[in-house]
Amino acid sequence: MNVLDVLNKDLVKVPLMHTDKQGIITELVEVLARAKGYSTQQFEQVLKAVLDRERLCSTAIGNGIAIPHAKTDVVDQVSLVIGISRFPVDFESLDEQKSKIFFLVVAPSSAASMHVELLASIARSCTSGVFRRMLEQAKDSEEVVRLFME
Amino acid sequence: MGVPFKQIVVYLDGSESSMTAIMYGIKLAREHDAKLTAVYVVNTRALSELVKAGIFVAIERDEYQLDLQVDADRYLRHAQRLGHMKNVEIETVKLEGSVHVMMKDLLKSKSADLLVLGGITDIRSRREELASETDRMMRTAPCPVLVVRDDDDIWLEFET
Repeated sequence: MNVLDVLNKDLVKVPLMHTDKQGIITELVEVLARAKGYSTQQFEQVLKAVLDRERLCSTAIGNGIAIPHAKTDVVDQVSLVIGISRFPVDFESLDEQKSKIFFLVVAPSSAASMHVELLASIARSCTSGVFRRMLEQAKDSEEVVRLFME
Repeated sequence: MGVPFKQIVVYLDGSESSMTAIMYGIKLAREHDAKLTAVYVVNTRALSELVKAGIFVAIERDEYQLDLQVDADRYLRHAQRLGHMKNVEIETVKLEGSVHVMMKDLLKSKSADLLVLGGITDIRSRREELASETDRMMRTAPCPVLVVRDDDDIWLEFET
């Protein structure tokens, strides 16, 4: 599985409106919940799973990227939400760089293999500094999708 | 290389297309009276990369490694069940490491004369094409490779 297998413009938000870590995660989970038609309870369960994981250690990986993720059986398949912020957000990155590009990944426990493959695919996609800059500057969700398709 | 095939290997990764591949593998093995091996590689290389990239913490890596082992056992058991349905004996092999490297070694050690793959992605992005494990496997396999496309007929055949 790779990013293109789950990339969907309805699951991309540009720009994100929040400017703090909790707000960004909530906004990304809201995008997922809206697109998938989750109930309030399902939304809260996904949000809790992602925040619980975040408490273990920040998922900001440097170079302005954060990949909040969680395993939860609320979702029935591996899902990806991409968000781009116009403002650098303090995501408690070890390199102390603020983040502007966010990938939310949630998957059921029965899809460990695909979950791992997707995370690895995201990490690979973002190794290019040029690609990261283009993502940061993307005008809208269509442009984000197009960048991944190139 | 033997023709008809005598030593067929199918790579499973849990995807629907790899399940189609094992069904084709079962049919081929029966037709050619070949030995059939189903292989699942627990991708520990990807796990290590995720820790290195700072995406996983160690405790998470360990948890996911266990999950991947469970995944592997489940899919290999399913492959065996499908084989039993058609009276084809399947040897199952679970490996750990880098997928295309482990598969290349296994194909050599078994003197496989056919690798059956399901999950070759359409070329949608140059970036992903170069990184896909199944695409790499196809390029590096030391034997002929059969790529199976999704096929509803074969699923029906195994469901009835």
